[in-house]
Amino acid sequence: MTASPTANAVDAASVMLIDEVGALAARVVANVETVIAGKREAITAALTVVLAEGHLLIEDVPGVGKTMLAKALARSLGSSISRIQFTPDLLPSDVTGVSVFDQADRRFEFKRGPVFANLVIGDEINRASPKTQAALLECMEERQVTADGTTYHLDLPFTVIATQNPVEMEGTYPLPEAQRDRFMARVSMGYPSPADELAMLSTRETSSPLDRLEQVVEVEELRGMIGAVQHVFTSQPVKEYAVELARATREDRQLRLGASPRATLQLIRAAKAHAAMHGRDFVLPDDVDALAVPVLAHRLVPTSRAVGSHDRDSGPLIDAIVRRIVAETPVPVGSARRN
Amino acid sequence: MHPDQPVLTAAQRLGLTAASFVLMATAIMALGPLIASSAWWWLCAFVSAGVLFAGAGLRALRVRGALVPLLEAVVLLMLLTLLFGGSTSLLFLVPTPETFGLFGELFSGAQRTIAQQSVPAVTVPALSFALALGVGVLSILLDILVQVARRPAFAAVPVIVPLLIPGFIVETGVGLPVLVLVAASYLLLLRVDVRVNRSARFELDRDDGIATVTAPRRVPVASTLGASLGVAGVGIVVASMLAASTPSISSSLLLGTGSQSTLFARGVSPFIDLGKDLRRPEPRPAFRYLARDGDRPNFTLLTLDRFEGDVWSVADRPVDGDNTVDAMGAPVGLEAEVETSEHPIEVLVNEVRTTWLPVPYPSTRIDGLQGSWFWDDESLTVRSADTNTAGQRYEVTRLEVEPTVEQLRGAGSSAGIDGRYLELPEEIPEIIPATAASLASGSGSAYDTAVAIQAFLRSPEFAYSTEAPVEGGYDGGGFEVIGSFLEQKQGYCVHFASTMAVLAREAGIPSRISIGYTSGSPTTERVDGVQRVEVDSHDLHAWPELYFEGVGWVPFEPTPGRGSVPAYSRPGAGQSPTSVLPTGPASTTAPSGRPDLDPDRGFAGPASDPFTNSGSWRVVALLLGVAALLSIPALTRVLQRAMRHRRIRRGDRSADAAWQEFVATAADLGIGIASGTPRAIASSVAGRPAFRDPDTSAAMLRLRDAVERARFGPDDVVEPPPQARHALADDLRAVRRAMLHDAGARDRLAAALLPRSLVERVVRVPGVRAGGGA
Repeated sequence: MTASPTANAVDAASVMLIDEVGALAARVVANVETVIAGKREAITAALTVVLAEGHLLIEDVPGVGKTMLAKALARSLGSSISRIQFTPDLLPSDVTGVSVFDQADRRFEFKRGPVFANLVIGDEINRASPKTQAALLECMEERQVTADGTTYHLDLPFTVIATQNPVEMEGTYPLPEAQRDRFMARVSMGYPSPADELAMLSTRETSSPLDRLEQVVEVEELRGMIGAVQHVFTSQPVKEYAVELARATREDRQLRLGASPRATLQLIRAAKAHAAMHGRDFVLPDDVDALAVPVLAHRLVPTSRAVGSHDRDSGPLIDAIVRRIVAETPVPVGSARRN
Repeated sequence: MHPDQPVLTAAQRLGLTAASFVLMATAIMALGPLIASSAWWWLCAFVSAGVLFAGAGLRALRVRGALVPLLEAVVLLMLLTLLFGGSTSLLFLVPTPETFGLFGELFSGAQRTIAQQSVPAVTVPALSFALALGVGVLSILLDILVQVARRPAFAAVPVIVPLLIPGFIVETGVGLPVLVLVAASYLLLLRVDVRVNRSARFELDRDDGIATVTAPRRVPVASTLGASLGVAGVGIVVASMLAASTPSISSSLLLGTGSQSTLFARGVSPFIDLGKDLRRPEPRPAFRYLARDGDRPNFTLLTLDRFEGDVWSVADRPVDGDNTVDAMGAPVGLEAEVETSEHPIEVLVNEVRTTWLPVPYPSTRIDGLQGSWFWDDESLTVRSADTNTAGQRYEVTRLEVEPTVEQLRGAGSSAGIDGRYLELPEEIPEIIPATAASLASGSGSAYDTAVAIQAFLRSPEFAYSTEAPVEGGYDGGGFEVIGSFLEQKQGYCVHFASTMAVLAREAGIPSRISIGYTSGSPTTERVDGVQRVEVDSHDLHAWPELYFEGVGWVPFEPTPGRGSVPAYSRPGAGQSPTSVLPTGPASTTAPSGRPDLDPDRGFAGPASDPFTNSGSWRVVALLLGVAALLSIPALTRVLQRAMRHRRIRRGDRSADAAWQEFVATAADLGIGIASGTPRAIASSVAGRPAFRDPDTSAAMLRLRDAVERARFGPDDVVEPPPQARHALADDLRAVRRAMLHDAGARDRLAAALLPRSLVERVVRVPGVRAGGGA
């Protein structure tokens, strides 16, 4: 079996009606919520990223359910899943696959690595060596694997959900800025509320709820949803608004590094998915607003002065800066277009 | 118009409107020297503000630009109806055909009052109407130039009109302070325009998505200052040129049917006209009256009190707007001891047409007159500011004064009266003081001298003739004429009256001459048992009145064969207090000096409103005006809502209209919503009690979805079909009902009377919004 250019393009015929997308998305979110209670925002962001064909970075301390979220989402979506536990000694070929000599056929056969799946869960990506990180990130960007001169396309949809512990933790290799930029969004799980935590204790006493999780969406339906997202309309004022937000991050005094053009592009893509998930075939400025922190925050680098003067009790510095920029940028309230 | 006309925001338009209003309000100040009191200015400012700000409101409602001036004209019509239409209008705002008839009368009345009144004029309703109409039309013109044509520099054209008018009438023209103010206002307007243009141009570039920023056009202050000074200068020059070339007022018959200005004509003696009227072969009917008890008074038209050597004339006193004829002043000099009695007389004027009303002297009140009539403080003569006597029917209450000979004889004559009544030119023909001296010698008191003069003139030596003076070349009432008359001893009433008045002054008795009608000829016709009396042009007459301290002005009759001699002035009159002629004074108190020097009069004077002179009307009109002003925001809001519903029905950005109306309603009710995206607004109000009802909440969300689709949806979205628009309107009504139901009574009242949305529209801060995601 050589290159497998399967289902690379989402078939236009399979594009779903926008109302269906909304209904399915709601079911997926509800389904995942049965496993991870009280984390609707993170779940929504994760699904948004899947629908927008991006990659998701889940960043938080160990044990808050990062992997659980990724697994639950994958299972709900009925897509093929693979999971890579990143460790310092993991090699790039452990991710992408390796060519093995087949004695019978007397030729090399490519053994596909775990990256060949619709949803790839990369646990604790910051524990891998930079070289291995780079291999995964190349797959994310190119959506293909090249080994021994042969290019293998990855099945679509292809989404990497990477989890990462905060950089202060021991034995980690923090992702460099350029590589963080490859992720469409980053979400934090946060600790559950006491009530949710209590509920969790009782539900998981005997077995993992993940075992009972049902599949909600067929993979073909998922492709249909993604196709519908691509057809979501973005009006000129909303595009201008996204550009304006990106420009504002570049000019902000508290930021050393602003949002890249890729960030702007992904912001709009994510906003389209967000709109579709709400059963809307056009993007609102509110979609952009809702996604500004997940999409922009992990790409920005604050100045050291801003870090020094930040009050840690008020949440992550960079999130606060993004929220401030969003609040300060005039939103297109839409003084009526004339048709 | 500019091809690249920038679209101005409501706030920018409002700025231009406010500057236009300030300009118009200052420009009409130029009329200040011409019109008494200041109430007219407030009226004009009110009308101008009404028109201009109505225009601004209409533009804020996105009425098409070309349509606004037309609607402004409608607003002007409604304002005029409100102010002047009275009971002829529907709901005080909608004119009826009768209202237009009334306007026509007011307008012609205004023409008359402009011709009749001297400066400063009293603001009779007709004049107020003309001012309001003129200012309203000029305001519309101003608005067209500033807002429609976007050529504020030409605002000078309508503004120059009020600046020009004083130049015709007052020699000094417009005062410098007003010119400076107007120039400053003009500069302000230009300044506002420059700012508006600059920001509008910047906005324009943004809209086009072109990243260039045009440098603001700098308008040097010097050039605008030059323009303003130019306006002022041209105004002065044109005004003085026009004033110089205006033909002088032509003289005509005293009581002719033509111009009413005759009596104002300086240098022309009313005597001449009177003589011409007396010499008419056929008498012309003047008026008729009904008086009980055989009461036959003389009717005074006007009183001549100034003698300048060759002419008797009326002292030039402005009309006092407070002197309305429903309560006339007390006769000068009359004191309580003198017996008086009141007699009502009904007068019907048919043919004679003059601005002076035939009224017996003295009278206490006149009822039933049409138009504005004012009495003179000293002579109690009555004249009109805006109409004339034609067709008038009125009831005058005459005060009969019955002094006794003792009272007259005992009276001093000159104390307490204006020295004007004693003034004589220095160069007097020798015969006058000689005659006066011979008559005064041998008589004890001033009264005796007066009786002697009357007796002298009535003696057989003198003959009545209307022709002799004309043939002898001594017609009129001047010194030369009196000298000739004393030698020729032939003349008519004018000569006898002026001669007696001059002789009396020579003898130290204050005198004046009244012109009017004698009592006329009774007819056989009786109305309600009262004999009707006809008065015609042959009854025109002039007679002297002499002043006696404590009694006032007392008429005499020196003309042989005319009128009737008062009993008290017959030689050897006894104790009998009877008097035949009307004389004297009405009130029981001594007259209180000269009311025309009252400091309360004048420009800063009585804050009477200009609409009417009747007290209760004044209050009603004032209240109506205040109510109209107060209801402007409410009406604007109602109009705005109606316009938006119309947009929904017509499919003119219907979703936007519905949403704007929803947001405005919420703002009116004080439901604090941030400005922002529809979604943010919707989520900020979703928690309100009004939206707990799922139906209401759903309706509100439907409105939100519609506006979102309209604003951010695909470009090929067309207006929703009529049913959907209908549903939109229903949703809007349901949401509004729910919000109103939910709000407190005070909020509802505030929302109706002072809709906050009108203000917040202007002061909305961009970029501040409520939280709330999708």
